[in-house]
Amino acid sequence: MHNVATPDEAFAGASGRDSLPATPTYFERPMLKAPHWEWNVITYLFLGGVMGGLGVLATIARDDRDDERRLRRSARYASFALAAINPLILISHLGRPERFLHMLRIVKFKSPMSLGVWGLILFSGAAGANVARELADAGVLPRWTRHFAPSITTPLQAALGAFVAGYTGVLLSATAIPLWGAGKTHIPAASVCSGFAGACALASLLATIEGNHAVTRKLERLEIVAGGAELAILLDFKRAAGSYGAPMFEGARGEKLRTHTLLAGIVAPMALNLIGSAIRLPKPLDAVRTTAASILTLFGGYVLRETLIEAGKASAADPRAAFRQPR
Amino acid sequence: MSTGFFTDTTLCIGCKACEVACKQWNELPSDGYEFTGNSYDNTSQLSGTTWRHVAFVEQMHVEETTIDDRWLMMSDVCKHCTHAGCMEACPTGAIIRNEFDSVFVQPDICNGCGYCVVSCPFGVIDLVNVFNAEASGAYGLATLNDQRLDDKQTAVQATGGVAGKCTLCYDRQTLGMTPACAKACPTESIQFGNLEELRERANARVESLAKRGIEASLYGAGDVGGGIGALNAFFLLTDRPEAYNLPVEPVLPSTRQPAGYTAAALTAAGLAIAGWMIFRNA
Amino acid sequence: MPGLGTSFGRGGATVWVPDLAHADCILIEGSNFAEAHPVAFRFVMQAKERGATIIHVDPRFTRTSAMADVYAPIRSGTDIVFLGGIINHVLANESYFKEYVAAYTNAAHLVREDFVDTEDLHGLFSGWDEEKNGYDVATWDFERDEHGAVVNDPTLQHPRCVLNVMRGHFARYTPEMVEDVCGTPRASFLKIAELLAKNSGRERTTAFAYAVGWTQHTAGVQFIRTAAILQLLLGNIGRPGGGIMALRGHANIQGATDIATLYDLLPGYLAMPSALRNEQTLEQYLKSTTKPSGWWANTPKYVVSLLKAFYGDAATKDNDFCYDYLPQLTGDHSTLPTTMAMKDGNVKGYFVIGQNPGASSQNGELTRSAMERLDWLVNIDFYDNETVSFWKREGADPSKIATEVFFLPAATVVEKEGTMVQTSRLLQWHDKAIDPARDSHSDLWYFYDLGKRLKALYAGSNDPKDRPILDMTWEYDHDDPHERAKGEPSALRVLREINGFYTATGEQVKAFTDLADDGSTAAGGWIFTGVCPDEHTNHARSRSGDDSTSLNWGWAWPANRRTLYNRASADPDGKPWSERKKYVWWDEEKREWTGYDVPDFPKTKAPATPAIPGGKGLDAHSGADPFIMNVDGKGQLFVSGALKDGPLPAHYEPLQSVVRNPLYEQQSNPMLRQWDRPDNAYNKAVDAAYPYVLTTYRVTEMSGIMTRYVPWLAELQPAAFCEINPELAVEKGIKNGGWVTISTALGEMEARALVSGRLRPLRIAKGQRVHQIGIPYNYGSQVAFARGDSVGDLIALSMDPNVSIHESKSLTCNIRAGRRAPRHSGVVDADVPSSERTTMGQSSALGPEDLRDPAALTHHARANDGKDASHGMRQMGQGDRPSPEKGA
Ligand SMILES: Nc1nc2c(c(=O)[nH]1)N[C@H]1C(S)=C(S)[C@@H](COP(=O)(O)OP(=O)(O)OC[C@H]3O[C@@H](n4cnc5c(=O)[nH]c(N)nc54)[C@H](O)[C@@H]3O)O[C@H]1N2
Ligand SMILES: Nc1nc2c(c(=O)[nH]1)N[C@H]1C(S)=C(S)[C@@H](COP(=O)(O)OP(=O)(O)OC[C@H]3O[C@@H](n4cnc5c(=O)[nH]c(N)nc54)[C@H](O)[C@@H]3O)O[C@H]1N2
Ligand code: SF4
Ligand code: SF4
Ligand code: SF4
Ligand code: SF4
Ligand code: SF4
Ligand SMILES: [Mo]
Repeated sequence: MHNVATPDEAFAGASGRDSLPATPTYFERPMLKAPHWEWNVITYLFLGGVMGGLGVLATIARDDRDDERRLRRSARYASFALAAINPLILISHLGRPERFLHMLRIVKFKSPMSLGVWGLILFSGAAGANVARELADAGVLPRWTRHFAPSITTPLQAALGAFVAGYTGVLLSATAIPLWGAGKTHIPAASVCSGFAGACALASLLATIEGNHAVTRKLERLEIVAGGAELAILLDFKRAAGSYGAPMFEGARGEKLRTHTLLAGIVAPMALNLIGSAIRLPKPLDAVRTTAASILTLFGGYVLRETLIEAGKASAADPRAAFRQPR
Repeated sequence: MSTGFFTDTTLCIGCKACEVACKQWNELPSDGYEFTGNSYDNTSQLSGTTWRHVAFVEQMHVEETTIDDRWLMMSDVCKHCTHAGCMEACPTGAIIRNEFDSVFVQPDICNGCGYCVVSCPFGVIDLVNVFNAEASGAYGLATLNDQRLDDKQTAVQATGGVAGKCTLCYDRQTLGMTPACAKACPTESIQFGNLEELRERANARVESLAKRGIEASLYGAGDVGGGIGALNAFFLLTDRPEAYNLPVEPVLPSTRQPAGYTAAALTAAGLAIAGWMIFRNA
Repeated sequence: MPGLGTSFGRGGATVWVPDLAHADCILIEGSNFAEAHPVAFRFVMQAKERGATIIHVDPRFTRTSAMADVYAPIRSGTDIVFLGGIINHVLANESYFKEYVAAYTNAAHLVREDFVDTEDLHGLFSGWDEEKNGYDVATWDFERDEHGAVVNDPTLQHPRCVLNVMRGHFARYTPEMVEDVCGTPRASFLKIAELLAKNSGRERTTAFAYAVGWTQHTAGVQFIRTAAILQLLLGNIGRPGGGIMALRGHANIQGATDIATLYDLLPGYLAMPSALRNEQTLEQYLKSTTKPSGWWANTPKYVVSLLKAFYGDAATKDNDFCYDYLPQLTGDHSTLPTTMAMKDGNVKGYFVIGQNPGASSQNGELTRSAMERLDWLVNIDFYDNETVSFWKREGADPSKIATEVFFLPAATVVEKEGTMVQTSRLLQWHDKAIDPARDSHSDLWYFYDLGKRLKALYAGSNDPKDRPILDMTWEYDHDDPHERAKGEPSALRVLREINGFYTATGEQVKAFTDLADDGSTAAGGWIFTGVCPDEHTNHARSRSGDDSTSLNWGWAWPANRRTLYNRASADPDGKPWSERKKYVWWDEEKREWTGYDVPDFPKTKAPATPAIPGGKGLDAHSGADPFIMNVDGKGQLFVSGALKDGPLPAHYEPLQSVVRNPLYEQQSNPMLRQWDRPDNAYNKAVDAAYPYVLTTYRVTEMSGIMTRYVPWLAELQPAAFCEINPELAVEKGIKNGGWVTISTALGEMEARALVSGRLRPLRIAKGQRVHQIGIPYNYGSQVAFARGDSVGDLIALSMDPNVSIHESKSLTCNIRAGRRAPRHSGVVDADVPSSERTTMGQSSALGPEDLRDPAALTHHARANDGKDASHGMRQMGQGDRPSPEKGA
């Protein structure tokens, strides 16, 4: 219709751009508001995934196998520890932390944040019960306390764990941020994968420390599956997101995602894990290998969340993406 | 009764009285003092403490001898959506729909999670910084000059850290008063009233403008699509919505949830089965 | 005022703002209506919605232009050519309103045979005296018969009749000339000319609106004269939806002028006695100021009533009603010459109330450094501003400044009661909402208290020179005990005294027609008589509007008339020109004038009433002469004598211009006043060092220091900026949003660049490309939320000859990217030879003679002895303003 006939040169200074883009937007001003979320939310999303994955692991592991029994125990302790820390991290990001409890005024199915908080609380309950059971088994608590943790809490923790790992993805994708909206299936799915992989990594780290090598193999195999799935989902996300995906997959941030998450965080541990199942390494070396793989996976998982949040901010700043929002 | 705004941009003279009246009535601080070079727009956007914002769009044909330059002005505000992304997202229930059918943030409930901020398809609602007179400079200097501000807690001081946006002057409406911005508007660019009536008036306005050879369209008087429905604060525009920094195809974020939960559940189930199999087969 | 005053009789806007809604076309030129008067602009929008065509002519495309149907760019300072072009167009096409022009204007008057037009004198009118550097205006008059009556040619055929003189005068103002001088594309100009003609006449009316975009020029009065001529030709004066809307500035600027904060006026536009005119006695004064015919024949009644209001019982017939208590003018005591005198060490003290010359005056550094020469400065204000803190400014050395500064806290508008007179001459009362904070007081309190202290100081004195203070009536105690306890005077009492009362009974006078010259009435401002017609009524409080003239909303002077000269809305027979434009008409049955407004005409004077030759007052006018204030009852197309720079407008280039005057050899207004000295350096005309046109104005978001301290406004326009077109920005390597430095011979300022196509480069004669640069004047260095250099610092002082208004609209400058150098110590000691120094009351050109008295213009003297300085001070103490509004 009307185009702004102003030499680009004069405007280059103010906005830091070298030329005016073809379709003028409103002074290249963002149309949407960027998330205010910083390290605490990133950490929360990341730990939420790991915590949820641990809940699932604690259920898959069987009581009648020693290695799996020990896995179950450490997974229960670890997920409970995370369930205790994570709300604190969540609270720390609130503008009015003292009002955290207002989250509990209502249950709102339309709000992933509301459901997530409730999921987190129920998860903590189940995790607490299961930990109490472990403690009772270990004789720390009197035996009769076992009655407080009926056997249902074990599968419940798995279900809630899966939810908690997945909702962090829905939390992002069900927003107006174009990048996140474009990943409405990919981000939740990738979050679950990353959560599972992270849980496996953390569990194998703990198992290595414990010397529970039998279970590390199993965990590593599961981690390969989860990592592979995550890689596939992220690659498909890039394809499906098209131009919405630019803030995440292109430029410096895309480069970081490729090197830190995809290569270092998924492909490298996958390779290390494959090596582990293919050849027997000497014990100390194998411990180093497992540890390295685990740390890389966890690192990759954190960077994935960080990239998602930061790219989300960049996506919010791009008015062209916001004018036509992904369905 | 459902009330709302019909903002007719063809009547807007860009005086920003609405912006100032809103800040004054609601005791909102300034957002800083940055010279942008973006026409006469130095506040740039709606924010947690700027609830009306006037956009300036210069469309000049510098070289031509015939003069049909345009300088479009539009006073933007929260749309008070029929299906409001912010309200659906809010985990505390701080955001409600009140008796005037407007979307209202209860500052005493909100805990500042910021989830509404990313859930508004129009980029309206935002968090308010916890008030700090010195840092914000808002009242600092004025206080030096005028002790009358001394012991007066502003609304922002009381509600910092929470989400802020237009209340559609809920307090004024309950007293039967017109919202401050509409009251201050000298040219009736901002028309407040019963929505039914406003929509009729808006349709008639488009027709009468057409008769004068002015192409205009309504934004949000009907369904804007994407599951959002109609907007209780709607606009008459004479250019594409993007020219005013409005989305052409906004989407209600919650419409993506079923797909998201399904994908997460299927993935989790798949991985759980994989794990189960790996553990059993080992 | 003289632009309108000499043409129509009164200096005020001829219409009132809401009437704009009834216009069929509105030409806004010389004002950024929407930005500077946004609330009043609603009536323009209403007119537009009713189908009116809105036109804006301005150097910049502004928010007003954005609302207009037609926008035309113009080179600043060339409006006489633009409007003159339309006059030429209207005359050449015979599209003026013939019956109106014939009946209501002086078109038929014959101009004296020895009058010579600019056409034949290269841009000067006859009577130029090279030696005197001024005009002898004797030839600028009409041919008179042996009785002194003007000779007419009702057939309008005589070559020397005003209409034909005008035809010749404006013949050069062709569309080509308009394009060459103004840079306005010819098509735009012709379109506007046709729109004006089409929307005038019996059935339709066009209104004009202007403000300081026309007044603040070295020929500002003549800009407005051109508009007045055009509106008379189009028959738009005195009719609904017509007229000339002079938009006033500050809330009470109209009222300030009415009640005479100007140095050369007494309340109600009575002339200040002048020592230069031999007005030693009341008789002499009345003789020189009273007109034989027209409304001003009543002058003695108003003067005597004023003196009675001032001096009460002490004023008697025997002592000339204390006339000799009044100060007498000894020269030009207007702001600019006084500032010069201050700079040169000839002013000792300075009261500054409700004004911030440190930021808003032209040649800001001269103004501020002038304050260093004072003994004392009193500033009553509610903000620390560039004036009261002049000694802290960048580059100043406070240890070397001896001026004693008193800063007194003022009450804001909501903390005090009183009236304001807005742009439509409408008085509106405002109540006090809260007590002033802490030590602040209303301005009225300060003056009331000062008066009481002075009276106490001189109590018991027998020295005759103390009588004026002792005899001054000074009883304004408030009725409300709360206010009385605080010493706050009653604004209502003041208003009631202004309205006037019978001295015997104390009863309020109902109308100024009841005022007398025998001391039986007192009135502090005769034009306001009627606002408080009885003890219980204060019409300024009225607040019921209607869809017509809302006569019960506020109260307009004179006599609550909204549209002046409204007799002209009916034809000579007293019938409305058309049903559509019916307004005030003659009711044959009741034998009186009636209509929607208060008739601006003797109520029962029938249309057929013949003029009585040699009659006194209005008897000299016929029943068909609507301009009752004028001597002949007609609208003045040709103004005999009263203006110093010509009876007809002629285009001169601004003093500082980028081109040679394409019309005449005479480059700039021969009568403009200037001070060519080192601390007031001018850019030379057509100086390659200053190749760009500079203009200044205000923006909606800012209004000087008051807004710079308000966070809500400061965030909207936080920094001084400079509007510049993209072409020039590219050429100069200027980035949008970045810093630029603008320079003139006087100095430099820095600002942020706002690069915008709204400032269109103009193509003028021979394809020359002119760039115009615009800078809002609202900023200053005071630490506030919004700040920046003040553009006044770039502008050397120069004045229009008629109203002493500064030039601040058409200037030249240069510009570069980047910031300016730091400022060093003021130019206070810049060497100005003592012979060139200014003393109080001195001006570089002509004196301040009464504008309504042409005879006085021929003799003027310079008064520059020290004695007069203190005398002038008294007047300044009354809150002398830069009086930008005077230009109207
Ligand atoms: N927000 C706000 N409102 C104000 C004020 C304020 O400071 N802030 N000030 C008040 C005061 S004191 C006053 S006097 C009024 C003034 O009211 P206006 O006169 O309407 O205000 P300016 O901004 O000076 O506008 C002058 C316009 O004239 C243009 N101009 C400059 N030179 C020329 C010329 O030669 N010819 C023509 N045709 N146009 C020219 C300028 O580009 C500008 O757009 O505003 C009043 N209103
Ligand atoms: N270059 C350039 N210069 C210009 C102009 C321009 O267009 N260009 N415009 C000119 C015009 S039109 C004008 S009117 C002048 C304006 O010039 P100023 O009148 O000097 O400007 P303001 O900033 O309005 O100053 C008003 C002062 O009065 C104070 N004040 C307000 N209300 C009250 C009150 O009730 N009582 C007291 N005691 N103080 C009060 C304010 O705090 C402020 O300090 O500037 C002129 N200067
Ligand atoms: S515009 Fe945004 S903030 Fe306003 S109601 Fe709609 S979703 Fe909520
Ligand atoms: S910031 Fe407040 S209003 Fe917004 S979603 Fe969170 S709790 Fe609700
Ligand atoms: S309705 Fe009230 S809160 Fe909303 S923008 Fe207008 S003034 Fe502000
Ligand atoms: S107050 Fe009215 S005219 Fe002024 S900017 Fe706001 S909407 Fe536009
Ligand atoms: S500031 Fe006052 S005078 Fe100026 S436009 Fe606004 S209401 Fe009118
Ligand atoms: Mo002014």
